[in-house]
This record gives sequence, structure tokens and C-alpha cells, in this order.
Amino acid sequence: MFVLRVNSMQDLKELSKKLLEQKQVSAILGYEHGRRGPRPVFVTEVADCERLVFDHRCVHNLAAYLSPRRTLVAQLGRLAVVVKACDARAVAGLIRESQLKREDVVLIGVRCGGVVRDPNGAEQLSADNVAPRCLECDKREPALADHLVGEPKPPPPGSASRDARLSEIEALSPGERLTLWTSLLSRCTRCHACRQVCPMCFCERCIADKTQPTWIETSPHARGNLAWHLTRALHLAGRCVNCGECERACPAHIPLGLLNRKVARVVAERYGYRVTDDPSTPTPIGAYRLDDEQEFIQ
Amino acid sequence: MNTRRTLSTADLGALVGDLIAAGTTVVAPIRFVDQGRASIEYGPVQSPDEMDLDGPQPSRSLKEAVFPPTEVLFRWRQAKSAVEIEEVPVSFKETVVVGARPCDAAALEILDRVMGWDFRDELWFGRRQATTVLALACTRCDESCFCTAVGLSPASTRGADWFLTPVEGGFEVEVLTLKGQALLERHKARCPEAEGSTTKRVADLEQEVRAHLDVRPDRIRAWLETHFDDALWKRLALRCHGCGACAFVCPTCHCFDMVDEPDGIDGGARRRNWDTCQSALFTLHGSGYNPRKDQAARFRQRILHKFAIYPKRFGEVLCTGCGRCVRVCAAGMDLVAILAEIGRTAAERGGSA
Amino acid sequence: MNLYQPHLVRIEEMVDETLDTRTFKLSFEHAAVGEKFDFKAGQFGEYSVFGAGECTFCIASPPTRKGYIEASFKVVGKVTRAMRRLNVGDTMGFRGPYGNHFPLDQMRGKNLLFIAGGIGLAPVRCVIWNALDLRDQFQDVTIIYGARSVADLVYQRELEDWARRSDVRLYQCVDPGGETPDWKGAVCFVPSLVEKVAPSPHDAYAIVCGPPIMITFTLPLLEKLGFASDRVYTTLENRMKCGLGKCGRCNIGSVYVCKDGPVFTAAQLKTLPPEY
Repeated sequence: MFVLRVNSMQDLKELSKKLLEQKQVSAILGYEHGRRGPRPVFVTEVADCERLVFDHRCVHNLAAYLSPRRTLVAQLGRLAVVVKACDARAVAGLIRESQLKREDVVLIGVRCGGVVRDPNGAEQLSADNVAPRCLECDKREPALADHLVGEPKPPPPGSASRDARLSEIEALSPGERLTLWTSLLSRCTRCHACRQVCPMCFCERCIADKTQPTWIETSPHARGNLAWHLTRALHLAGRCVNCGECERACPAHIPLGLLNRKVARVVAERYGYRVTDDPSTPTPIGAYRLDDEQEFIQ
Repeated sequence: MNTRRTLSTADLGALVGDLIAAGTTVVAPIRFVDQGRASIEYGPVQSPDEMDLDGPQPSRSLKEAVFPPTEVLFRWRQAKSAVEIEEVPVSFKETVVVGARPCDAAALEILDRVMGWDFRDELWFGRRQATTVLALACTRCDESCFCTAVGLSPASTRGADWFLTPVEGGFEVEVLTLKGQALLERHKARCPEAEGSTTKRVADLEQEVRAHLDVRPDRIRAWLETHFDDALWKRLALRCHGCGACAFVCPTCHCFDMVDEPDGIDGGARRRNWDTCQSALFTLHGSGYNPRKDQAARFRQRILHKFAIYPKRFGEVLCTGCGRCVRVCAAGMDLVAILAEIGRTAAERGGSA
Repeated sequence: MNLYQPHLVRIEEMVDETLDTRTFKLSFEHAAVGEKFDFKAGQFGEYSVFGAGECTFCIASPPTRKGYIEASFKVVGKVTRAMRRLNVGDTMGFRGPYGNHFPLDQMRGKNLLFIAGGIGLAPVRCVIWNALDLRDQFQDVTIIYGARSVADLVYQRELEDWARRSDVRLYQCVDPGGETPDWKGAVCFVPSLVEKVAPSPHDAYAIVCGPPIMITFTLPLLEKLGFASDRVYTTLENRMKCGLGKCGRCNIGSVYVCKDGPVFTAAQLKTLPPEY
């Protein structure tokens, strides 16, 4: 039976009310209970703060709403956003890349012991249904936060390595990998849900939308799909926070996270960089070091 | 005509085997397992064992069978100033869909309206012509199903050439169309005539689905036609990512893009690809002006098209209540809840309710 | 053959109307297609540049002139840029005619008032020539046309032709600052010129086309002058792909510009939601 720990979120509700009453923010971006499960909500009235919840089904990465291309959200004004430690990495990424000023957002850090993959299941959190991103969770609460709410939580369940499948693929030959990815991506219909839910895909004009010239064919055939997904994975090199939202959003159930995690592995190995929720850490793309490996330049 | 037949589970398998052996493409729900997660999708089967007729609803609609995500409209060859066009075929290989959900079968008929509106889309109708749909009454539903609210039901025969109702040991078959009759003629041995009174259906889900959403489409339409500027759109659109996953899994969404894909300098193909009104580019003029410049305007368009514009033009709601948009949405946009809210608002106001 | 397949057309002639506007004269590659081809003033087509895509333009030549069709365009995006690189003798594609038309039949025996701005003269020019080719079917023909500057006036040879004709009254203007020392026309915006000319609404139909700002000021002005809103016609543009009602892109509310339009009366415009 699913048990909602109501009293642990009273601090979230009280904090939100205070922030609105004191006009520190115009809206709280958090989670509410939808008909089927929790979902993002924008609360602008003090009375509606009672709707705010947080539990193990709140998998959504709310940092996606902080992109400057979200004109409707920007119109609301200064926001307070509920962030788990993993979500805070995306907020740090936006700050790091000058899409957001730290002082323009209030971060309500929430203590989290793991979330399920599917917010609309009513199950208890277990090793079978835990979201992939939790498998390597290294902290229960974000360092990047103005406030912290919720009770302390144990680490998420599950010990399976998220990268077991990745290692399997790495063991294949390049030809086998191409065949595998062509097949996996054949289900893609280019809905671009992966891009739209990604907090780090905030380009004013995505390369896939450009037509003069057409860099990436928009048709959902093998050539177009490979071009799109590989380009996106490369454009996220050193930037993807591995929240897994792209995979969750994909209506074709394509394991997109594998591409991003492969690129993240390469970035870690070559540049010693892993995503962090510290905005002052320079990005590997944006920073040049004299000791960067460059044996590929002959 | 309405011929009643029985079809045992074994004979359905044999029928499918016969079709495959004869070179007919058979499309059915198939179970895919990837990284421990199972999903059901419509897909071509090479043997009857691959079919999964007892699983949950396929997560993508059947429209792909007659309206592929990408389709070549024609090819061209070019040499200096001269161009030659290579036509694409408009007649297609015979396909039989086994186990179509009623919401998916009905959608095909609903889309026939726009595809035949003044100009006849030969590619759509060519595939429709070549496809025989064996629909299967639903034996399960979930809280996102709302087919009854849009004039259908878990046992709706709309769009079906054969309608299969699960009974003990197999299915009862209603043959509903000439095309269905032709298929029966070729496989009569597998389907003896039904004897006596019909066996009770395995499941009757209509009441259960009805409980999910109780609205009248005509009232929804009346509200939509008079509330273009309602605050509802902005409020809903805040949460929406504008991704179009809803449109792509939807059995009735049919908007498409047309692009030229050169293959080198001496030729190429013009294709049509699935597109969505949820994309910011959808209505973007070359000048840079966009009549639908925010997600509120785009989300409104989706709801209006389905529940006001298409009904006004063709007398049909452009939605079969399959619930896929609700299940797939990463942001928790919930059409059932939205329609319920509009229905309540419309009722409260009296008047147009 | 399917409905998305274009006819092949050949560029016979090319005229640079202004620095940025060019007119193509196109003939059908297959004589049989060309002979059968017919359309009504106001209809549009989808013009292909193979490899770049398709673009929507009204047919700028009148249906009374057989054997060719014309299109006038400015470079705005991918397809028009590719069109600009084409030469006489090159092959394009054409699908059409699509859409509704100006009901010239209804306007027989009446006075015609044409108001256009800039490249908006293109669809109007089609109707003007259609009417002039059947001159005795109509009463007074008045044309009010303006552009940003003298260099931006399109169809200049035809404007001179219309100015010379005794059965046409032509009024021209350019924006303040757009005049040249020998400019003989007015110096003001098109709506102001309309106000000065003060055309009579009696037994008259108005056909208006131009940039949105011009339409915004001209339609209320015509109403003020006494024109009934179902006697004032305009033609709308919207982003299009299929041009024949299936791709779901060009609708304004429940109205499809490619099927219910592109020609609309001012009365119809008033019923449209603000989505164009």
C-alpha cells in the first residue's frame, strides 16, 4: 500500500506560503497530485500551496521549465523551484551557461531517497521500479539550494549498475553497434519529446530546425534519426545531467540515456569532468586547459 | 450484412499462419521487451506465436499501418535544367490487421473524412483499400480510457471489417463489410457459423470506461467555440513541454510536413512526415511572424481541432478516447481531466452547456 | 500519379520588378496539361523548386491569358532563395489551382476599386487584368496603389499602361521619403490616399491586398466611407504545406485558408479568431 507521508511536506507548504506572502517569488514550481500521479504545477496563490507534494513518484526534472525559451513561464516572474539533488545539477548547468542568474530563482531543495521510473504507478519504491538516474545517486539533498525541506531519506534501493547495458554495447564491434542503434532508432518518429523535456536543450534555434541549409534531415528514417540522436548526444557532451527525462518522455521507448551516458563516460575519461551542482565549475566545452589531451591533432 | 461465425484460438493462429504463408502482411500487437520493460506495439508478425492479444493497449496507434511516419510522395531526377518525376505506387500489398483495438479501428474511418475532402489522398486510400481490419473487443482498460465519452465503446465495431469478441475457447466473429466477407470466403474452413445464442462476452467494460469521463462532445464543442481567449489555455500550457508526443501516439492526429530530400545534385525525394501543431515551427511564417507564438495558443489549437474544428467540418470528433496522450505525457497533461473540467465549467454556466 | 505530385513548368521569362521582387513567367512542360489548365482570379498554387521544397503564391497572371502563369516573389526563406538562383529555361513544379477566388461574376456591371500596397499588388493585379480583359463587363475601374518608395513599386510597366488608359483611374503614392525628384504621384501612406480619393461605395466592390498594417487601417476606412463589409474582399496568407486541406497547418480557427480562402470578405475576417 502506498503511504503518503503528509507531515513531512508541511515544511514545503509553509515555506511556499511564506515565499508568496512575502512576495519573494511570484510562483512556486513544484509537484501536485494529478489524477494519475504527481505532476508539475505552478502555484501562484497562497491557498493553493496546500496542493504541493513531494514523494517517491516525483521523478520529473523541473529545471526544464527554467529555460529562457519558455515565454509563458518567464511571464510569471521570479520562481521558487522544488529541486532534488539530481535536478539541481541541471539548474547549475543553466547558471553555468548563462541561461539563468542564480539570484533570479529561489531553490527549494528537497531530501529524496529515490524516485520511481513511472510517476503514474502507485507502487512503493523498490529495486525493480527505481528510476535509472537513482542507481548512482551520491547525495540525498542538493548543495545548490536556498532552503531544504523534507525528512532525511536512506539511499535509493537497487544495486544494479546502470551501465551494465552500456558495457555490453561497448563490447560490440563498430559495425554491430551501428546495426543495433539503427534498429533501436528505427522506432523514432522525430516527435522531439527528448529535446523538449531536456533542461539543457535550450537553443533558440535547434540545429534540427534549421533549413538553410538543412543540417539534419527531419524525416524519421534511419539516416535522419541517426543524425538527430547522435548530434543531440554530442551537443550534450559535458552538459547532460543524466536525469533520464528524455528516456522517460520518449513515446517509442528508445533507451536514449545510453547515448548520453556513453558520451558522459568519454568526457569523464578524457577530461576528468562529471556533472556537478556547483555552477562555478567550468564546463569542459567552455574551458580550455593546457593539459587537455589532444593526440587527435597530428 | 452481418454474418456471425466462431473462431477458436487455435484456428485464429492457423488463419494467421495461412495469411503469412500466402505472402500477406499480418500486423498484430507484439510484445517487445527492452531492458526489463515490456511494451506492446502493433507490428508485422512472422508467425502467429508472436501475437499478444491479451496484453494492454499497444502504446502507439494503428495509423502507422496506413499513414507511415515518413512516406515518399514522388522522386525526381535532374540533369541541368531538365527534371523528370518518378511516380510512387498508389496500390499496396495486402495487409491484415489482427487484434486492432476498437479505438484504433474507428480512428481510420474518422480520418477518411479529411483524407477524402474534395481532393482524394490516393496514398491514404490505397493503403486503406489494401488493409483488412480485424478488430478485437477490449477485455481490459485503465483510468485513461474514455472511448465512451466520444461516442465509441470497448466493443465498438466502427472501422472493423471483422469484429472479434472473446468468448470461451476463442472468439465470436461478426463479418461487417464486403472486404471482410471476401476474407471470410478465402478462409471459410477456419470459421464455422455460430450456432445458437451468442456466448456471453468475457468482459463488459463499458460501465467501467464510462465512469472515467462523463461529458457530452456537443457541449464541449460549444464551450470551445466561445472561449478562445479563456485563461484555461495559459494555465494548462505552463506545464506543457510542446513536445508533440501526444500527437504522435494519437490514432487521429494526421498533420504532416512536406520536405524535399536531395540525394546528391541529380535527384531526390519529396516526403511527407508526421508533424505536430505543438511544435513552435508549425505555423511559423518565412517572415519570422508566428500566429501561434506561445504554447497556450498551440495547446488550444490541439483541443480545438479535435473537439470543435473537425466536428464542425466533418461531424466527427477527432478523438477516439484511447487515452494514449494521457499515458505518454511526460508532464502529466491529462485530457480526461481537461475535458472533465471544461464539461463542468460548461454545465455551471448553463446557457451553452 | 498522386495529388502531391506537381506538374512540370518551365521558366520562360524573368522580370525584376524591384531590387528584391522578381516575376517568373511559367509554361507547362506538357502541352496537354497547359491546354487544359484553367483557374479563377484569386486562386493560388504550390510552386516547387526541386530539392528545396514548395512555396505558396497566388497566380499573378489573369485566367484570361492562356498558355502561361506568372508568380511574383521576394526572397524570404529556403525555397524563395532557391527560386532566385534559377534561370530562364530551368524547370520548376506547380500544383494547383487551389483555394477559392474573387467572385468576379458577382461583380459584373459594378464599379471596381482595387487597393494594394507593395508586393500585395500581385494577387490584385491578376483580378485587374481579368477585369480589363473583359472591360465592358464592368463600370468604373479605380486602382489605388502605393509602396515604400518609387523603387519598390512593382509591375511598373503595367502601372504606366494603366495610367495611360482612359477607362482606368489610377492613383499612386509612395511613403514620405520614398519619392524621387520627378515623382508625379502622391507622397503618403496608402490608407491616406484612399481617404483623399474618397471612392464612392455606390454599386462598388473593393479588393484590398497589402502588408498587414495597411489592411488594418484600410478596412475600417472603407467601412467609414460606406462600403458594406461583404463588398470588401481581401486575400490572406498563412503558412501552408499541402495547400489542399489535409496537412492541418493553415487553419485560422475552423477556417482553412487553403480551402475556405485565401479570398475572404471583410465581414468574414471579423468572425475569425486573432490567429493570423
